[in-house]
Amino acid sequence: MTAVQADARGILDEIALVARKAAIRDDGDVITAQIPGPDLEAVVHLLAAAPGARLAHMFVSDGQPGGEGEPVILRLVWAVDGQQRYLLTESAVEAETYPPLSDIAPAAFHEECEIYEQFGIRPATGRPLNRVVLPPHAGPDFPRLGHPPTQPPREVHAPHTVGGQAFEFPFGPVRQVGAESLYYGLVTSGEEIVDVHVFIWHKHRGVEWRLRERSPADGLFFAERMEGLSAVANGWAFAAAAEAATGLLPPETAARSRGVALELEQLYNHAAAVAALCQTTGLSVGQSAAEIALEQLLRLNAAAFGHRYLFGVVGIGGARRAPDPAPLRRDLRRDLPRAYGELRRAADSLLSTNSFVDRLEATGVLSAEQARLLGLVGPVARATGLGVDARHDHPASPYAAAPPAVVTRAGGDVLARFHVMLAEAAESVRLIGQFLDAGAGAAVPAANWIAARRHQQEPASAGQSRPAASRSPGSSSTTRVGSPARGCGRPRCATGGASTTPAGHETCSPTFRSSKPASG
Amino acid sequence: MAAWFLHGLRRGIVTTRYPARPDSSADDLPTPPRFRAGEMTDEIAERLAAVCPSQALRRDGGVLVYDVGGCTACGRCEEAAPGVAVPGGQFELAVTSRADLVKRIPLRSEASS
Repeated sequence: MTAVQADARGILDEIALVARKAAIRDDGDVITAQIPGPDLEAVVHLLAAAPGARLAHMFVSDGQPGGEGEPVILRLVWAVDGQQRYLLTESAVEAETYPPLSDIAPAAFHEECEIYEQFGIRPATGRPLNRVVLPPHAGPDFPRLGHPPTQPPREVHAPHTVGGQAFEFPFGPVRQVGAESLYYGLVTSGEEIVDVHVFIWHKHRGVEWRLRERSPADGLFFAERMEGLSAVANGWAFAAAAEAATGLLPPETAARSRGVALELEQLYNHAAAVAALCQTTGLSVGQSAAEIALEQLLRLNAAAFGHRYLFGVVGIGGARRAPDPAPLRRDLRRDLPRAYGELRRAADSLLSTNSFVDRLEATGVLSAEQARLLGLVGPVARATGLGVDARHDHPASPYAAAPPAVVTRAGGDVLARFHVMLAEAAESVRLIGQFLDAGAGAAVPAANWIAARRHQQEPASAGQSRPAASRSPGSSSTTRVGSPARGCGRPRCATGGASTTPAGHETCSPTFRSSKPASG
Repeated sequence: MAAWFLHGLRRGIVTTRYPARPDSSADDLPTPPRFRAGEMTDEIAERLAAVCPSQALRRDGGVLVYDVGGCTACGRCEEAAPGVAVPGGQFELAVTSRADLVKRIPLRSEASS
């Protein structure tokens, strides 16, 4: 496994050398460095070269370029995985251009293109940007997070022409199950791909724009549905952000429910990926075998959590659903090994099929350095030897107590990715068993969790119940401290409930980080 | 390829008999709600119309219009009005006319409450 080592303190010392007026604030998990605009390029050079630091994201806040009103703030999020920390650099963009960051950190290119579409500022390269988010018909009045560009992109690659002996092989946006609606225009003269045009605007729904001024509960609803095959992952990420902002800490049993759901999500996505590999290699029998496993896993999701794609599991401050009561957990323990065994047997047969293995070996090779510069994560990055895994590198409960084994391979090709996914599927089965053994339940905080926090901070008389907070539309019903949340009638559901809650039951109420102030 | 032949023989046919026979896994699926009209107050109807993300629920005077065809079975209405909106338990909702998917639920009048 490639060593991932980075000393956040050392990086900050170097930043201070190249950006003498940088203001640095250490908040524990996140270090924020305000970098003057003229020093940004040098700082990005430094961070892009630092081993173990990877550019995770880049975005801007609203403002007015060109010196009118508040400036646009350009933020870059760097993951210092070895230190379980993030470094956030902030720089004001006074003009309509900023340094060409993707020349230094290629991972920034997609964000540069989107930032131009949404906020009208661009890197000072003069080279063409791609149209990535907004559809071609998006005029000046199209909903944007910021301001439209004063000039249209010089080249948007749509329409475009391919000259010489090459042709463009159109792939997507309508694709098979498990693949997003992306268009890849693969420019090739036959075997080798020499260029690619990527358009992702076909299903643009403006989710970020729609999220503005909505409640956290609504935000979670949207986040789950941003990409339906990652409902748990995206929902958990959104909930974690809301929890960090409000000081909520989910109960351990609810955290383990999230963990079970997340591992199930990874399992079925890996099964779908195996099926997709079989389809692309023309092995329909193998595809069917993998899809049998996929269907079994989806049915398992529905039985355990009430939804084949695990919607509605994550709640802000907890988990809305869990494999509860005991018969459901027993069924999960019985049926999960069967479904995984189905996938494993299919994979073993695939690995003994030369025509399949030959198509994967030495195909799509990426080096670890390429993966790091491109900011790759997931099985693709781990198949190059990079040991990046958010569950391990930035652990939240339940992974802090039960760290997953990070699977890597050194080949960097599709076969290495196949092996990584198989090993990760086995690890997911192990983790699910571990979480169930420790206890996984459903619990969400009261609808008005700020009021609940005040209740928790007030001394309680023994045996007395607290008045239920008012219920607002779309929110979970309140729970009385010391009583469980009643279900809406469906099994496994901790939300909704009757207008009165039963007495005499135990529950796991969320706790609050004492260092976090209540937000308004 | 012999390995795949044996793999298939061992696995057998896994295709279900649905619709000739019910598929038990359907019991685990979310379904569009049904509403208890006798408890549908004006306030609850407003709440339901506000919470539905696909506009399958909307007010029309003294009626809550419920478009089953627009429902995604997300369950937010059931959370917002538990006991009034309950899981319908049905997902075999094919009809021959689009209009048959639109239900009009009269609101409980104050005089009858």
